[in-house]
Amino acid sequence: MIEIRINGEPLSVPKGASLQQALREYLNDEQQQLSFAVALNSDFVGKSDYESTQLQANDSIDVLFPIFGG
Amino acid sequence: MSLNIYGTRLNSRLLIGSALYPSPELMKNAIVASRSQVVTLSLKRQNPQQQGGQVIWNYIQQAVQENQGHLLPNTAGCKSAKEAYTLAQMSREIFQTDWLKLEVIGDDYNLQPDPIELLQATEMLMADGFKVLPYCTDDLVLCQRLYDLGCQVIMPWASPIGTGKGLMNPYNLETIRLRLPDAILILDAGIGKPSDACLAMEMGYDGVLLNSAVALADNPVKMAQAFANALEAGAKGYLAGIMQQRQTAHPSTPTLDTPFWHQG
Repeated sequence: MIEIRINGEPLSVPKGASLQQALREYLNDEQQQLSFAVALNSDFVGKSDYESTQLQANDSIDVLFPIFGG
Repeated sequence: MSLNIYGTRLNSRLLIGSALYPSPELMKNAIVASRSQVVTLSLKRQNPQQQGGQVIWNYIQQAVQENQGHLLPNTAGCKSAKEAYTLAQMSREIFQTDWLKLEVIGDDYNLQPDPIELLQATEMLMADGFKVLPYCTDDLVLCQRLYDLGCQVIMPWASPIGTGKGLMNPYNLETIRLRLPDAILILDAGIGKPSDACLAMEMGYDGVLLNSAVALADNPVKMAQAFANALEAGAKGYLAGIMQQRQTAHPSTPTLDTPFWHQG
């Protein structure tokens, strides 16, 4: 297992896990249907690359959702 | 009277924010009442267990649909060009738009944009196909540089975000209008009351972006209508050609045949 962070919270995932696996761990099935976008270590990762992006220890994932703004 | 944003014609010159309203329903009603066709919104981390964000997002979509409008994602909270670029890419994927209200803040006290990071971010984003609407200070040279980078729309502040202080420096704003006659200029931030928006339009600005002035009003729906009317009045006044100020009084009623003249 390796330790990563999602939205600042610690999460353990298997070594060699993909970004898609981590997101499945963090979001339930219903939440995965919502609109969200992802950055890995402050770089944008498009939806089509979730499966092929392999995580490393101490990676930091941001999962962002739409919210009001000015 | 239409507003042209990167080739898209809009019926309203008002761009409106979706934050700070007492409730999502009131936000939707105020946006609809404003007749604005551009609504700003953002992206944030959220606890997936909380559904609040989704509710707000649903209301924003309803309001935009009702006004046949467009979403304008912002990069609020970003302090570097790199952060703004990443957030912009994330916004583009979610909202399916290349429009971006670019904010890169340089000072936490007055939320003043960082001109150096702003220019750098603009360059990166324009190269990646974004249509950038940069939020900037009322600095003429900065506005010129943004225009030179390809920004067809430039959004100088009236005063710091959320202050409601109105047009702090009308001279600067008028100079920007004068020196960049072909740019689409939208006054963004610091608007407090409808007359502030009207004044900007009378100066020849193309539009106004505001949020707090409507959201924090006692009656946001009524205030949204007031702003819609104020913008229309100011824009019509500008197009009609405002008279020159004069140093001396001139009677508006003819003096010839004045009754009682030289009597008593």
